[in-house]
Amino acid sequence: MLSYREKDSLIHRLHPAVVVALAASIFILSLVFSHLLYLLGLLLAVGAVIAAAGILAEWGSYLKFSIPLVLLIMLVNGLLVQMGDTVLVAAALPGLGTVKITLEALTYGAGMGLRLLVVISAFALYTHAVHPDKMLGLLGGRGSKSILAATLATRLFPLIIEDFRRITEVQRCRGVRFQEGNWRERVRKWVPVAGVLLTSSLEQSLRLAAAMYVRGYGSGPRSRYHRELFRPRDYLVLLATTGGLAAGIWAALQGWSSYTYYPRLVGFRPEEIKMASVVTLALALPAILSWGWKKWPCLRSKI
Amino acid sequence: MHHINLTIPPGQFVLVVGGSGSGKSSLLRAISRLIPDFYGGAYKGRIYLGGMELRELKHRDLVEQVGLVFQDPESQMITTSVEGEVAFGLENLGLSNHLMKRRVMEATSALRLTGCRHRFIPELSGGEKQKVALASILAMQPEIVLLDEPTSQLDPVAGEDILALLRRLNEENGITVVLIEQRLERCFHLADRVLVMEEGRIVFDHDSPGAIASWAVENGTPFVPPLVKLFAGVGYIQAPVTVKEGREILRRCGQPDLSAVKKVEPASCGKPAVREGNGEQPLVDIEGLWFTYPNGEEALKNINLRINPGDFIVLMGDTGAGKTTLIKTINGLLRPGRGRVKFRGQDIRQLMVEDLASTIGYLSQNPGDYLFLPTVREELAFTLGNLGLPDNGIVDTVLDRLQLTACADANPRDLSTGERQRVALASILVGRPRLLLLDEPTRGLDYELKQVLGEILQELQAEDTAVAVVTHDVEFAAEYAEDVVLMADGAIIARGSKYEMLTGSTFYSPQVNKLFNGIADQVVTLAEGKMVLDEVMNNEK
Repeated sequence: MLSYREKDSLIHRLHPAVVVALAASIFILSLVFSHLLYLLGLLLAVGAVIAAAGILAEWGSYLKFSIPLVLLIMLVNGLLVQMGDTVLVAAALPGLGTVKITLEALTYGAGMGLRLLVVISAFALYTHAVHPDKMLGLLGGRGSKSILAATLATRLFPLIIEDFRRITEVQRCRGVRFQEGNWRERVRKWVPVAGVLLTSSLEQSLRLAAAMYVRGYGSGPRSRYHRELFRPRDYLVLLATTGGLAAGIWAALQGWSSYTYYPRLVGFRPEEIKMASVVTLALALPAILSWGWKKWPCLRSKI
Repeated sequence: MHHINLTIPPGQFVLVVGGSGSGKSSLLRAISRLIPDFYGGAYKGRIYLGGMELRELKHRDLVEQVGLVFQDPESQMITTSVEGEVAFGLENLGLSNHLMKRRVMEATSALRLTGCRHRFIPELSGGEKQKVALASILAMQPEIVLLDEPTSQLDPVAGEDILALLRRLNEENGITVVLIEQRLERCFHLADRVLVMEEGRIVFDHDSPGAIASWAVENGTPFVPPLVKLFAGVGYIQAPVTVKEGREILRRCGQPDLSAVKKVEPASCGKPAVREGNGEQPLVDIEGLWFTYPNGEEALKNINLRINPGDFIVLMGDTGAGKTTLIKTINGLLRPGRGRVKFRGQDIRQLMVEDLASTIGYLSQNPGDYLFLPTVREELAFTLGNLGLPDNGIVDTVLDRLQLTACADANPRDLSTGERQRVALASILVGRPRLLLLDEPTRGLDYELKQVLGEILQELQAEDTAVAVVTHDVEFAAEYAEDVVLMADGAIIARGSKYEMLTGSTFYSPQVNKLFNGIADQVVTLAEGKMVLDEVMNNEK
């Protein structure tokens, strides 16, 4: 099924363009920054917004597979990168000679892992807080055929997944043992599933196309329906997001957002801490607004 | 279609009835120009819309006048939001945003969808989805709305809701409605005019449902509501089409001797009230079963149920009550969260679905899921091969029993709805299961095909095969089942014989029971109704 679910949160009530801008800014900054503090700030900001949107459980399912990946990155980096002065472990491995694991290499791996977490979290925010149709609506107007194709794919893909599950169940109930036999036999068992799935998808597409025909699709130029309004909260969040992005880029230009891991880890400078805090607070503003939104109901009518 | 001559004046509510393949859907598709524009083909003759020949109309002009709602709500949803869906047709008409907003608001209000306007379509119920489909057509403000079995996928309450809305739109807005329906007890009385189709022809056309009922009775056509059949069975020609009319006739017959009538008990009709276990081990024994889906939805709550060999039970309840989940836990497709499901004394957790395939037959909601081989015979042989069973003539026996011998070498995908359904059932029956689990097997079947299916299931029951059917079809349950299990919100609300469960209810009673409510309460089948009606009529004489 589609992952998006409508929730009663301020984040879900923002203009879709604003949430897209926020997720995109976090994504861009995660690529720009290599500094641990900045990346940690981005993770905190996106985590706070995700919590405010009420999609922590969904985020959790992303973290379940990404955290082991982060640990793997740290391990591989620690094993393969032999730079760094602070040696934690050194051992002679057959064929590889002496392999040392340094604090710097592990920290660099952690930094890259953190970047991966931020990227994944930004995508989680986009997937679970932006209505797919509204997003496609933003791109509407010109090239509407491509947009419609994307809308239909959004709509049909979950149905195909559901068909696949159902057809596989039916085959199992007819005694097909998908897990048994050599790989050729297994592949052969999936052929009927693919056949039924293909036929069902074609029938489904045909029914959908007929529904589109009776609703006048292709009868002439289309117009575009839009009801999304910009409210004060959208301007506030957009302003903060733009400010956070600009501050991040400025910090990068100043050289404050990159971090020297090798040969030895260095301490954080005050300007780096200050700018990282500014970027984090600016990008976490929707979460702060959401807190106020819940605490003071009168704020809802104001923003 | 053959020699169709038909004029529909504005504002009429027309009901089209007939068996599978009689040409009803083709007629609607021709009126909406899906034939030949979309499905291809060609037709002779002419179709006029307000004096203008249909073929000469521009596509846009046509869809502004004629709207079509299909059977399956799921496969006509194009977007994922209610508002976007209703606006889709308006965007195709190139309307201004201002006008679209107004039309969306009006259409959603008319169908009581205002609260759903911002909801996500995958989260809507089947009834709500069908209302969205109807709203998206009505927003285009057509003069004619065509509906191809719009309630066949819905539970009785949602179905009644859609039909009541149609009647209201017809009466209050003067919209012409052409409706195809199979469950005639729901809509026969709504129509101003009824068309009966057979083999592509309109064989009867009358503006009085009563007259068409009489004609149907005289000609022995099965496409009449149960009440009509009932009164016709005792030779009453002016058959009623609603329970209200039927009760009026009973009243006119004079005050019946209720004491005599009330003696008609189910047992005297040849059916036991409740089938008791014979003390042997039950086929299925469910104790304290709970099931929760990975998304946290608690679908089954503390289910306790026994199914004995030779039971014929029907699981009923609203959409989302947990009926399908329950039968999937019985055959092992879903594993119990808590509690125990035993099949022939063995815990289902120790068995795989594939191990149970030879003893538990499962027919899903979509028979198309079973059909992928070039011939019907190969479909049956496929199941036998998987289960490692020899043929020993079982394929021919099952084909013969399900009246499929004539199409044994046909491609199952080329067959009619009813035939496909029977092929899917046959592909299960060749394994000689001891328990049959059927999920909505009557969906899309006409009266005749339902009767065939019901009789087959009763024959299997007589051979000691247990049958469990999930259905919304009250009339089918009343006629063929033995016990009814009523579910709501994941729990079993009640289980009892159909004589306990399908009597005295607003939605879960067959028409015949509603007719005799207060006269002879334990009447649910047509045969029983006929006995009581005979007594009432005799009483009058």
